[in-house]
Amino acid sequence: MVKFLKPGKAVIVLQGRFAGRKAVIVRCFDEGTRDRPYGHCLVAGILKYPKKVIRKDSAKKTAKKSRVKAFLKMVNYSHIMPTRYTLDVDLKDVVTLDVLQSRDKKVAACKETKARFEERFKTGKNRWFFTKLRF
Amino acid sequence: MLQRLYNQHSETLAFPFAATAEAGGFCLAHPLLSPPPRRRRRSLVTGATMVVAKKTKKTQESINNRLALVMKSGKYTLGYKTVLRSLRNNKGKLVLIANNCPPLRKSEIEYYAMLAKVGVHHFNGNNVDLGTACGKYFRVCCLSIIDPGDSDIIKSMPGDQ
Repeated sequence: MVKFLKPGKAVIVLQGRFAGRKAVIVRCFDEGTRDRPYGHCLVAGILKYPKKVIRKDSAKKTAKKSRVKAFLKMVNYSHIMPTRYTLDVDLKDVVTLDVLQSRDKKVAACKETKARFEERFKTGKNRWFFTKLRF
Repeated sequence: MLQRLYNQHSETLAFPFAATAEAGGFCLAHPLLSPPPRRRRRSLVTGATMVVAKKTKKTQESINNRLALVMKSGKYTLGYKTVLRSLRNNKGKLVLIANNCPPLRKSEIEYYAMLAKVGVHHFNGNNVDLGTACGKYFRVCCLSIIDPGDSDIIKSMPGDQ
């Protein structure tokens, strides 16, 4: 009876355009809201995974291969699969509720999320999160 | 999408779903057939013996009794969707799964229960039997007990996995 759908939990999106992508929960709405009367959460995920970097890559190539493209989405709980992994990247200040209202705010937030993901990827931690799920 | 993942990764354990743990090799207790004899398997590698015991009728009856008490006095939900929902919002306290539940669904429920630290009991019977044990006239593949009421089912079967 432990609550496991918490901010920081790594999940896999199961439905929609981003099916098969790994994401991290930023904010949960267990009770739902007026517009979405079901349990849902705001996730920040990886749209384009970073490519595999090998030893003989030059610095320029490594930089190009380590790029990440992020997405933000409100998903229903039944459309995600929680995993046992977590990703403790602080995205609460960047990804807020009003970000999803307008397009340019969303793009700006995605850019900032992308920067945070890339910096986390470069440290070499959370390797599972940044590998593509093969299916 | 989960089915594609499961089909590809069922041999390897690279997927978040681990292979389902063996439930101790319970045999189906069909009322008409005589129960198979108790087998003693010897593993060739280690030389240790593994007894494949048939689940005794007594424990099966006691589970059925406890389940009946829960149905009468407690709160529960029947069915896959509501079981997952009860696990997600931490209301579920024990999950029962029928033995003919499809393996992907069984793995998924077990994984959710592992994350929620909730016990899973593999019911010794198929979904028809589980439905009958619940006193219903339909099949029940999985059910989640939210409030046991007067029953001690949660204390006595804390998930055999």
